[in-house]
Amino acid sequence: MDFLQILALLFKGTGYTLMVTVACSATGMVVGLAIAMLYRLDWRPLQPLLRTFTYVFRGLPVLVLLFIVFFGLPNLGLRVPPLVSMMLSLGVIAGAYLGEVFRGAFDSVDRNEVLAAEAMGMSRLQVLLHIELPQMLRFAVPGMINEFTTVLKYSPFAYTVGIPDVMKEAMALSAATLRGVEIYLGVGLLYFAIYKILVSAVWALEKRYRVPGLTGH
Amino acid sequence: MPLLTVRNLIMTYEGRNALDGVDFDLAEGELKVVMGPSGSGKSTLLRCLNRLATPTSGQVIFQGEDILRPDTDVRALRQRIGFVFQHFALYRHLTALQNVTLGLRKLRGMSAAEADERARQELRRMNMVEHERKYPSQLSGGQKQRVAIARALAMDPAVLFFDEPTSALDPLMAREVVNILQQLRRDGVSMLCVTHDLYLARAVGGRLLFLDQGRILLEGNAEDLFGEHADPRVRAFFRQEREERAPTEAAP
Repeated sequence: MDFLQILALLFKGTGYTLMVTVACSATGMVVGLAIAMLYRLDWRPLQPLLRTFTYVFRGLPVLVLLFIVFFGLPNLGLRVPPLVSMMLSLGVIAGAYLGEVFRGAFDSVDRNEVLAAEAMGMSRLQVLLHIELPQMLRFAVPGMINEFTTVLKYSPFAYTVGIPDVMKEAMALSAATLRGVEIYLGVGLLYFAIYKILVSAVWALEKRYRVPGLTGH
Repeated sequence: MPLLTVRNLIMTYEGRNALDGVDFDLAEGELKVVMGPSGSGKSTLLRCLNRLATPTSGQVIFQGEDILRPDTDVRALRQRIGFVFQHFALYRHLTALQNVTLGLRKLRGMSAAEADERARQELRRMNMVEHERKYPSQLSGGQKQRVAIARALAMDPAVLFFDEPTSALDPLMAREVVNILQQLRRDGVSMLCVTHDLYLARAVGGRLLFLDQGRILLEGNAEDLFGEHADPRVRAFFRQEREERAPTEAAP
């Protein structure tokens, strides 16, 4: 079995790795946007809750949260499917981090533009949706890519809950052939390829919506 | 009945009266220019009038309505007042055209086509229609301010407020804006303009209000205030401004 054959066998897991990464990143986007926007609306009673959420989920290790969801919740009579467990652990933790990325990016929006929109008669929510959000998302691209990359690199935890991703295939293959070095080297190459494709896709999207003079990239 | 009546307007900020009993009227189609040293309360005055800031006491009657009452619909009020800022405050992620159409679509509920048509009318009036696809970063300061004025005019406001419209511009571009103010004055647009710019104050030729320490010290025609005025504070202000501006004012 040569190296190309090894890669071909490992490739079977790539779809699952991608699925886990995209599903968890999407969860992170939803959670992060919700947190950052609620922060931005500055609704007092909610602020301590948002701070606690961020504090807790940034402090918890992904694997611990994953096991709580996947192995712990069934004891309370709540069975969570593997992919959903990944979204509720890795995805939510990514959301806590992305929330901070977005919060910082919101601060880069020019206050004068917010003032102008308010002076025009827009509601707070209209200002957020039409002025602050579109700019913030553009400012946040580098931070988002960082977080998506982190999600990709935590995705191998999926094998612990039975998702046959690249890592799972590699372990099975390695046990059968005892050619660990080549196999895990192949795994590394595959992850790098996925990373490269994901990052290029995000930058292509960024370029599509780029506004001259708004961002430095 | 005046368009805008301000009586004994007081705004206390950090224990000090930023506005200390301001009185004035603005008639329909009139232009008034508010001048005064930094910290005299000029910008605060404008912000109180469209409720971006909340005055402590006093009375503001706009189009026959007391706008300081607690049940005032502040957003509806602001839609009747066009606001032009010192630093243009164009939305950087939108093109010139989109800057003008945003309010029409989101606040007036126009369709995209209607809004584009209305926006182009105002951009044409400001001589900016050929730049409608450019983003703010691709425009000069004077062009940005013209888009900002078009954006305000497109909403058909009852009055336009200008907050130091020329002070972020070089003299040539400032002149562009002054020309526009003159044009709007001829068109009968009601305007209230806060400025430091003596050239502007003199060229647009409206009534001048001199604001000092939160009070309107006096009101008069530009020529009266520019002469050797009896009040030493007025004399000092205009002399000093003249000296500061001297190098840029030299050119005809």
